[in-house]
Parts: sequence; C-alpha cells; structure tokens
Amino acid sequence: MATWTLDEPDKLAFDGVDRVLVEIVEGAVDVVGTDDQPSLEVSELLGQPLRVRHEGGALSVDYERPWRIGPLAWFGRGRRTAVLSLAVPHDCRVELHTVSAGVMVGGLRAPVLVKSVSGEITLAGLGGRADAETTSGAVQASGVTGDLWARTVSGDLTVAEGGGGSVRARTVSGAVAVDLLASGERDIQLESASGDLTVRLPGTSDLQVKLQSTSGQVASAFDELELDRTPGRHAARGRLGTGSGRLRATSTSGHVALLRRAPEPETG
Amino acid sequence: MSPVFSHGRLRLYLLRLLDESPRHGYEVIRLLEDRFMGLYAPSPGTIYPRLQRLEAEGLVTQTQEGGRKVYQITDAGREELAARRDELDELEAEIAGSVHDLAREIRDEVRGNVRDLKQELKQAAREMRRQQRHENRARRDDQPRWDWYDDGNVDVRLAEFLDRTSRTLRRVRLTEAQVRECAAILDEAFDRIRQVLRDTGERPPTDKEHP
Repeated sequence: MATWTLDEPDKLAFDGVDRVLVEIVEGAVDVVGTDDQPSLEVSELLGQPLRVRHEGGALSVDYERPWRIGPLAWFGRGRRTAVLSLAVPHDCRVELHTVSAGVMVGGLRAPVLVKSVSGEITLAGLGGRADAETTSGAVQASGVTGDLWARTVSGDLTVAEGGGGSVRARTVSGAVAVDLLASGERDIQLESASGDLTVRLPGTSDLQVKLQSTSGQVASAFDELELDRTPGRHAARGRLGTGSGRLRATSTSGHVALLRRAPEPETG
Repeated sequence: MSPVFSHGRLRLYLLRLLDESPRHGYEVIRLLEDRFMGLYAPSPGTIYPRLQRLEAEGLVTQTQEGGRKVYQITDAGREELAARRDELDELEAEIAGSVHDLAREIRDEVRGNVRDLKQELKQAAREMRRQQRHENRARRDDQPRWDWYDDGNVDVRLAEFLDRTSRTLRRVRLTEAQVRECAAILDEAFDRIRQVLRDTGERPPTDKEHP
C-alpha cells in the first residue's frame, strides 16, 4: 500500500484508480472524470496533515485521526481545512464525506455518494446513481441522467436539465425545484414537511401524477389534472399522456406547483 | 473565480466554433460538451437564443439544410473574432489548463445556472399560485347568494312571505307590544331555519348575508 502524508499543497498522480473515498472537514473537494492519468491536487491545506492512501485501485484521502463531532471536537487540534481536486477515470466509484466543505462531482458514469453537514453539493453530468445527503447545505444537480436520491434537512435541492433517471428527494424545510427535460418511464418522488415543491415538465409528458399538500396550496399548469381543494387535503391527480412514469409530490405545509416548460426555440 | 463564460465569452466561443466550419446547433452543443469533458453541456435553451442573437447582429447567417438550421460565420463575425483575439486566446488557455482548474470553473458555471433556474421556477410557481387564488375568488363571487334555498324553492316562499307580510303590516298601525311580538316570531323563525341547516350539515349563513 502506498501512503503519503501531506502537510502542504501538493500534486500526486496514481496508476490505477477505480474507487475513491474522501473524508475531510472544511474546505472544498472537486472530483471530475478524465481520460488522463488519475491525479490529486491539493491547493490549500491548513491544520492537520492530510493522509492519502492508494492500494489495489482504492484511493482514499482523509485525516489520520478521525474527525470528532460534538464536545470532543474541542480536543482536536483546531481547524482542518483542505481544498483538493481529484481527476479520476469516468467509471470510478466515488464516496465523499465532509463537514462544511463544498463538493463538486462531475463527468462520471459510476455511482456517486456524497454526505455533508453544511457543505454545498454540486453534481454535474453524472450517468450513474447519485446519492446526496446534507443537513443544511444545498444540493444542486445539472445534467444528471442517472438515478438521483437527495436528502436534506434545511438545504434546498435544485435539479436542472434533469435527464432520464428517477429522482427522489426528501427534505424537512428545504425548497425542492426540479426541471425535467423529458419524462419517459421514470419515477419522481418528492417529499417535504414545510419546504415548497416545484416541478417543471415538458408539455408532452407521460406521467401518472399525484400532488398533495395538507395546508399548502397545490397548483398545476396541466388542465388534465383534477384539483381537489378540500381544506386539509389539497391535491391534484391525474394522468398525463400515456402515464408510463410516475410523479408524486407530497408536502405537509409547503406549496406544491407543477409547471409546464415552454417548447424549446428549436430542436434542430 | 469567474465562470468560464462570463461577460460574453460564450458568444465569443460560439463564433470561434463557427469559424472552424458551418455547424448546426446540436453540433455546437456537442462540441462544447466535448471541450468540457462531458462535465458541462449547455442546454438548447441556452445556445439557440444566443445563436439567434448573433444572427440578429449580422455576425452569423443561417441556412436550412435537411430540416435543420446550419449557422455560418459572416465577414463581420470574423472581424469581431479578430478584434477579440487576445480574449479568445486567454479563454482557450483556461479551457486547456489542468483538469483541476477546469473543475473549479465548471462548478461555478453550474452553480450560476442552477441559481438562475431556481429563481425562475420559484417566480413561475408563485405567479401560478397567485393566479389560481384569483380564479378561485372570482368563481366564488359568481355563485348566487340564494344557492342554499334552491331545493324546494325556499327562496320563492321567502319572497312571497315578505311580500304578503309587508302588505298586511302596511294596512295597520301596530302597538309597541305587537311590534315586539312580531319581531320575536321572526327571530324564532330564523333560529329554527338555522337549526334545520345545522342538523343537515349545511353551513348556516351569518346574519350579514341576509337582506
């Protein structure tokens, strides 16, 4: 096993990497897919040295001492800030854990798992399954064509140019906004306690739809849906097109809105 | 760090791609995606309006070819490109820089786009809710007040009652005690009507709704 201990900004290159595990505290992590040799660039490092290990395709970047959360954190040696960027093969599995460090993962086909407490998570151009979980950090996805599973407590979730995969989102107070390019045979499930849920669909969509909010307002731009305005059970349900996919958006006190995307200026 | 395509740089890059050869919109998008190693693919909704703007400015022209629009740079477009050579070189250097520099740039680009989208959807949803509330209110106002009495023509009976009673009362002069007794009968009648509505589960109207 190859091990490096970094205490200042540095660059490393590796021979073969098929899975990556990063556990850092503060700072930022970017992981992008590349056709070139896998590499790590640490551009900022404050506090404890960073440990890098590489063995049989598994690359890990973390601290020798595990992070301490809660009162024990006082016994740690001050701040641990690391800004690092990893370039890995497109089919490399990626798992990232941070406390406040922001994360960007892009250009991968393999599964990606990101967990952060307050860091912002950005997912761009992912073809495999993506899991993102934060407490207060926002999650944003652009061009994610694989399945997406996002959970936050207060962080907002925004999906731009949603591709063909399923989308599941659960939040307490975060606002969820999902913009889908095509509907297809997919499963979209959004849940919130108080956060607003907004979905925008193409004009021609094939989905079985159910929108519901206990005390929030439910509004739909699709006339095919039947609105139920009984107090305590605001809902809209019905079928769009062939109804081959499924859309469920359920909130307790948040508003639920289904918007219709204007046709693209040209498809050409 | 500034995003890749801030300050009209996407525009410049589009001109540069069309300078290489005439292309259709989809091809431009694929080329941009390749250039960013699949990390960032601008949507047709970003690219087509910009191509149309370039056309309006006379920097590109478009022709129909097999049902697709093919964009071609004009002499004015080439002049613009030559005038901004330095800027373009700088942009190319950044894009060709290390994968790590590129990652940072892409992150900022995606964040910016997502933020715009979030705002757009939020506003659209708010507008739709406002409109829906407005429509609901209008629908409620359209409903006749006497809806409650439609079945069994209670409203007709009530109108008859009012007519007959007032005609009768106009002919006589009531004492104070008689007025009080008549008022009590009316109050009692109203209370009983209200009771009937309550028993059958209908929401009784408030006094204010009565003429």
